[in-house]
Amino acid sequence: MKFTIQRDVFVQNIQHVSKAISSRATLPILTGIKIVAFDDGITLTGSDSDISIEAFIPAEDGDNSNVDIERPGAVVLQAKYFADIIKKLPESTVELTLNDQMVTKIRSGSSEFNLNGQDPDDFPRLPEVEEGSQFTLKTDLLKALIKQTAFAVSTAETRPILTGIHWGMESEKLMCTATDSHRLAMREAGVEESGDVEFTNVVIPGKSLTELSKILDDSEETVDVTVTDNQVLFKATNLLFLSRLLDGNYPATKNMIPSQSKTNIQVPAKQLMAAIERALLLSDGKNNVVNLKSLNENELEITSVTPEVGKVTESVSCDAFEGEELRISFNGKNIIDALRVIESQDVAIQFTGAMSPFIMRPADRDYMLHLFSPVRTY
Amino acid sequence: MQTWSELSETQPTIARVLQNSVRRGRLAHAYLFEGGRGTGRRAAALLLARAFLCEKTVDAEPCLVCRECRRAESGNHPDVHRIQPDGQTIKVDQIRALKKEFSMRGMESAKKVYIIEETETMSAAAANSLLKFLEEPEGEALAVLITASAGQILPTILSRAQVMSFSPLPPDRVTKALVERGFREKEARTAASLTSDLEEAERMFDEEWISQGREKVVQLMNDLISRPQDAYITVHETIMPFFTDRQQIQTALDLMMIWYRDVLRMQVGQSDAVVYIDQEDTLTKQAFQLSQQKLGKNLQAVMDAKRRAGANVPPQLLVEQLLLRLQEGS
Repeated sequence: MKFTIQRDVFVQNIQHVSKAISSRATLPILTGIKIVAFDDGITLTGSDSDISIEAFIPAEDGDNSNVDIERPGAVVLQAKYFADIIKKLPESTVELTLNDQMVTKIRSGSSEFNLNGQDPDDFPRLPEVEEGSQFTLKTDLLKALIKQTAFAVSTAETRPILTGIHWGMESEKLMCTATDSHRLAMREAGVEESGDVEFTNVVIPGKSLTELSKILDDSEETVDVTVTDNQVLFKATNLLFLSRLLDGNYPATKNMIPSQSKTNIQVPAKQLMAAIERALLLSDGKNNVVNLKSLNENELEITSVTPEVGKVTESVSCDAFEGEELRISFNGKNIIDALRVIESQDVAIQFTGAMSPFIMRPADRDYMLHLFSPVRTY
Repeated sequence: MQTWSELSETQPTIARVLQNSVRRGRLAHAYLFEGGRGTGRRAAALLLARAFLCEKTVDAEPCLVCRECRRAESGNHPDVHRIQPDGQTIKVDQIRALKKEFSMRGMESAKKVYIIEETETMSAAAANSLLKFLEEPEGEALAVLITASAGQILPTILSRAQVMSFSPLPPDRVTKALVERGFREKEARTAASLTSDLEEAERMFDEEWISQGREKVVQLMNDLISRPQDAYITVHETIMPFFTDRQQIQTALDLMMIWYRDVLRMQVGQSDAVVYIDQEDTLTKQAFQLSQQKLGKNLQAVMDAKRRAGANVPPQLLVEQLLLRLQEGS
């Protein structure tokens, strides 16, 4: 392997893939970045076995020439040293040469490094993208999907499957679901270029998706998604992000959503959020219990009590109210989390009695749904 | 040792059972490899992992050259997880990390292997946390637990794994091999009774440590009978400064155990099987002085001490208590 590369392009891409490399790698090979030189460009790969990031540097990018490849080849170099070396090199171009013993010579201007490499065959094999098994999502839509569901995943390790977001695709509709068994967030999106892909029980770790959301560049228009048996691949122009899937069966969430309701209300999201935030100031730190009571046709009362500290009462006017009177308690923090991602002026809430879960969704859209379990207090 | 046929030279039964299971695709989900040091438990675990993962097995023998085989050996296989004690014990966090790893689908294939070494050092919390997951693995998982003695493993774990007992190599063979490599017979016999790992035995000689340690234990055993009141001084002056860390105390206790076994051998007339062959006179003398019952008690005392040595008892107290018990009723 031998090539000469523009240093700034190299540094930028090394930073991308370094995000996947963990300092506490379980396999020795995963402390490294895999560098493969092809005739038409270079790929860099980093992985911590949960997520993997692959960046492609094309030899020619429009009119610019990034890389001049003399000999193709592959090597794995220690990320810790390699990234810093490239960053600190003196000139604007870097030359990499690999010899037979996996020793890589890095040369820039008058400085020369020799780094011991590892066998690229030892690096975990990443699944290939197969034509026809992928669908395309707009980047901003993908980010919205992640933002609106990832907050609801469980952080407890007791049921690992709940630390993931369930993706299911059926008749060109992608359904994302996350739950920690006390609350549930669901977001549906129409996929235009679905390529007739259908799948179910694909559970992607919430952490991976949050990471993906950070890495995705806003300048990217679309992302191609491929689901394989063990991994899910997100492909932007020159960046490939892979995450392993969680093993096991995701709970059947469809049956949890009540189809009928006894009380329906509609309230302005901002006022509701502010009122609950104030009520939370006096709720005990652990359960965040907030009580809600219907006063009359257009007024709700939100209260919270901690006997040793005090009590707060606030009334919120509601735009619409129909059905039975209501007294209910719930975890206020969960409601706030959901209200933060509902980008709508008004929210509609459907209650089915004080002991049953209730649904909240934006009043003007129906692609999003949040479900909460009430807290039993009286 | 990289193939079943090589394994069958030392552990014929185990090699046959495992090879047949791989051949018919009827591997159990968890195995417990039990046996002394040098009996090839780790090599067998690696061999089993390779046979399980290799895609080009010929009659259940791994090919040893494919990516799977090579990475399993270099420790770079993403679906092979090895757990070794972190310090003195295997901590519950290590098992948690393993569990988290197993909540994900395999990195490359659906197959996963985990190898836990020195399973007996697992803390109770770690062992309990392993239980459920050992019983109901998701997908195609293979667990290999390695231990020196199955007796120290929680019965709840034991009942969930298939136990494979690795028989110790006959000491005669090790002795002969050591003598062939140019070691004196009296020391070769001692080393062979301490370990069946040839390389470890050689290492013992490299530092002359074992022959010195042997002399010191012999002196103590002598003093115990002939000059009982001086035995404590011997302990303080020679034994304690020499056998400093826990591992060395264990070896000292092993040497004492071998001594009493030799005395017993002299009593029953197996004088050619004794380990301390240069001490035949003393052994014969003690064989007359000690009753079989007393010898049994002494052996028991040494065993108890060995167990305590594994459980954070200060070595000084441990050895002194042992001396008291050895001198009881004599």
